[in-house]
Amino acid sequence: MCGIIGYIGFREARNVLIDCLKRLDYRGYDSAGIGVLQNDIQIFKEVGEIENLERELPLINGNTGIGHTRWATHGKVSVENAHPQTGCNKKIALVHNGIIENFKTLKEELEKKGHKFQSQTDTEVIVHLIDEEYSGNIEDAVYNALKKIKGSYAITVLCKDDPEKIIGARKDSPLVIGVGDNENFIASDITALLKYTNRVIFLEDGELCVITKKSTKVIDENKNEVKRDEELIKWDFRDAEKSGFPHFMLKEIFEQPDAINQTLMGRLSEIEQSIRFHDNVEGLLKENYESIHIVACGTSYYAGMVGKYLIENLTNLPVFIDLASEYRYFGTKNKSSLVIGITQSGETADTLAALKQGKESGCKTLVISNVIGSTATRLANGYILMQSGPEIGVAASKTFTAQIIVLFLIALKIATLKNKIGSDEIYKHILNLKELPRQTREVLDRSNSICEIAKNIKDANTVFFIGRGLNYPLSLEGALKLKEISYIHAEGFAAGELKHGPFALLTSNTPVVAIVTRDSTYDKILANIGEIKARGPKVIALADDKDTEIDKHADMVVRFPSNSQISSCVSVSVILQLLAYHVANLRECPIDKPRNLAKSVTVE
Amino acid sequence: MKCVVLAAGEGKRMHPLTFTRPKVMLPIANKPLLEWNLLNAIDTGLKDFIFIVSYKSEMVRNYFGNGETWNVNIEYINQGKPLGTGHAIGIVEKFVDDFIVLCGDTIFGKNDIKNIIEKDISIGLVKVEDPREYGIVETKGNEVIKIYEKMSQPFSNVINGGIYHFNKKIFNYIKKTNKSPRGEYEITDSINMLVKDENIKGVFLKSWRDVVYPWHLLDANREIIENINGKSDGLIDKNVTIKDKLIVGDNSKILSGTYLEGPIIIGSNCKIGPNCYIRPYTSIGNNCHVGNACEIKNSIIMDNSNVPHQNYVGDSVIGYNCNLGAGTKIANLRLDKKNIDVVLNEEKIETGRRKLGTLIGDNVQTGINSMLNVGSIVGNNVFIGPGAQVSGEIKPNAKIL
Repeated sequence: MCGIIGYIGFREARNVLIDCLKRLDYRGYDSAGIGVLQNDIQIFKEVGEIENLERELPLINGNTGIGHTRWATHGKVSVENAHPQTGCNKKIALVHNGIIENFKTLKEELEKKGHKFQSQTDTEVIVHLIDEEYSGNIEDAVYNALKKIKGSYAITVLCKDDPEKIIGARKDSPLVIGVGDNENFIASDITALLKYTNRVIFLEDGELCVITKKSTKVIDENKNEVKRDEELIKWDFRDAEKSGFPHFMLKEIFEQPDAINQTLMGRLSEIEQSIRFHDNVEGLLKENYESIHIVACGTSYYAGMVGKYLIENLTNLPVFIDLASEYRYFGTKNKSSLVIGITQSGETADTLAALKQGKESGCKTLVISNVIGSTATRLANGYILMQSGPEIGVAASKTFTAQIIVLFLIALKIATLKNKIGSDEIYKHILNLKELPRQTREVLDRSNSICEIAKNIKDANTVFFIGRGLNYPLSLEGALKLKEISYIHAEGFAAGELKHGPFALLTSNTPVVAIVTRDSTYDKILANIGEIKARGPKVIALADDKDTEIDKHADMVVRFPSNSQISSCVSVSVILQLLAYHVANLRECPIDKPRNLAKSVTVE
Repeated sequence: MKCVVLAAGEGKRMHPLTFTRPKVMLPIANKPLLEWNLLNAIDTGLKDFIFIVSYKSEMVRNYFGNGETWNVNIEYINQGKPLGTGHAIGIVEKFVDDFIVLCGDTIFGKNDIKNIIEKDISIGLVKVEDPREYGIVETKGNEVIKIYEKMSQPFSNVINGGIYHFNKKIFNYIKKTNKSPRGEYEITDSINMLVKDENIKGVFLKSWRDVVYPWHLLDANREIIENINGKSDGLIDKNVTIKDKLIVGDNSKILSGTYLEGPIIIGSNCKIGPNCYIRPYTSIGNNCHVGNACEIKNSIIMDNSNVPHQNYVGDSVIGYNCNLGAGTKIANLRLDKKNIDVVLNEEKIETGRRKLGTLIGDNVQTGINSMLNVGSIVGNNVFIGPGAQVSGEIKPNAKIL
């Protein structure tokens, strides 16, 4: 995913471009660049965040330019590979978001014709192709060049010989025109432009646009001009906080790559190959416990169940998990047990009561919370913050993945303290954890295809979620997400349990979501899918990218990248969130304010 | 000569009313604040306007369009980032030569605008009683020497009125201006550099109404309603008593037994009465209903809102699409008769007013017999239950039961 921007108007293009790019940095930020036109096209690129580029950027004049923030797909992260990319004599510059599938053949052809390539990007092919086609009319050149390209793209193009216009085009990557007064914009996404204008023209796939200071023109695939009205983006002040997402929940789902980074921040030491917590938490974890008791409610409880698998797996320590509301009255309080409470807000009454109970019976208590200074963090002997940032959507999303990650870190920490795993193994886990944000980003890129699959669920009365092992609590969480925001009855089951009762409910109208990972139970879950299919329901499988078998068994497959247990956990969680979100959205449910959950009352 | 109107501000000190509209679109005597300014400017002969907009710019654009309703040209420029007055004026460089700048949220008198137009580079000055909230201007004769940031112990009561006459030269100084401590480019900093090289005249303004906090709308409303003229288009029943000036929009009905003590302005499609009492300096918007046994005094009721049954509303602003339940009363005077303080954006502010009711945002509903105390501020979409008591600052979307 990359972010692109084009500007033509009366302001200093440099400032506008940098400003807009900062708003696009959620689309990637491993390198950034801008090209500003004044007599010549001047190009500036830097590796790293947009702030790096801003710092290095001289004060260049010019009221026309293009910009790009990159998340590498072809070619490593380097200045050469950053955009804008230019053609042979720097007459044409271009920024691109997407992937060109036939770039190898095109590149060879162009090289034969004498074009010299500077980078390893697929993007550079487009700009040389435009160069090749150019004979005085940049519009035609872009149009003809795009005819030869296979793949996805959103581009904006600047041409030195035609300084009064910028060309944009899109196919399978987003692009909008921002309409201003005496100025116009092109961008990947309206949030980038919102400071300058809220009037937009949406481009359709395969269309090309030409913007000048005073005009905008849209051309379709057959070179016919398209009349399209501008639309007004209506934002109230709450929407502005959603930075362009229709709901807080979706915004929070998409924040996960960053949120995961934040959760890991300061806790992984590659050099020492260890996990680090605050001294008092480390002290707490060092003590010799016979067991661990996790207490939590709702989504946090399911995160706790995932934690149980993770901790037991790595430490051999028995982990008991209780609903906080049950533990406080009925739980066995064992003095030599560590009680871990999980609460996003740190104010969940049942969890607080359970922690108090644990403490009173002599247990040490640890809290995982997102809110520093909350009651829970003050009550417990130690606390670990999720560092996820505020979560406003009622249905938890980014805090669920953060809770899983924190529990995994606890598992790793206890395992190293108990010498259950060696430094090589922990190093491997650290590297896997560092991969999580990028993998999550890849999952988020598949949001549209998940939306397609959601259409198969939206009219169902009942949906079942199944999984084995770690995927069992994830299926419970998937069902909870779906029911709380879409109001569809949903239940999660351990895959092996279906035939002990719930089978009776299966009909051709009860879709089943099966979470499939290639672990020791892989064959078992494929067999379960077979049993289900025999009763008529459609099966939607969640499976990793390398699974070649699953297509033969399931009706629909959502893929995710995975190279470790923790990454499959996080990827599956994100997919289930997106699935629930899209179903609820298709059913036009009030996603951020599900019914029966009152808004908070704030009275001074 | 072009006239640049600064209309980009959100007006945080006008919350909750500005959560749903930019400050310049706040209604005073049933027209947006900015329109009163525009009308005065047009009266001086100005024809070409540039509105610098940003926050909820579509509302300004939709209302004023290209200006043909007023027979003038209006162009818009989006400020982009809220980086201060210097930045806002800086972006019009390519569009103006000799030009006037007006702060869109202050109402300037026609003759004052004219005086500024006739001078060369100049600044409008105002003498005020309490200058602590404003930039203080040091003058020598009629020359401006320096503009100071607001100070707690001002040496003079002459302040910067927010209207300027500039030419191209100002842009060189704007480019040299650095960010102020509050992170904005202030036009006053640019002017302070300009005065070293050029003479700038100070022009004292005779009519000047600054609107900062919501209760200032009531002052502005009173001033304008006193001075405007209009006709009564509506349908007035028998047995309606009208004292002093009354302006009523078309399709409005005033029903029997209503006692109207002007000056009062009522919009279109309203139903007033029967048997209600409306007192001076009240503006009622379009599509409103004021019903039986209601009393309204010195207040602004915005469009689509109702004061329907046995209500008292005094010295208050009621936002768009609100409904008061039967018997809802608004207090506007402390029993000890002391000045009223309010809490706005979690900050306590002295209003200096002995009488002040409630400031209510949009889409607020109150239950029967609910009570709103002096100086309360009620956010948008608040729901006040039957018999509830309200005081202080109520955040948007809250429910009070």
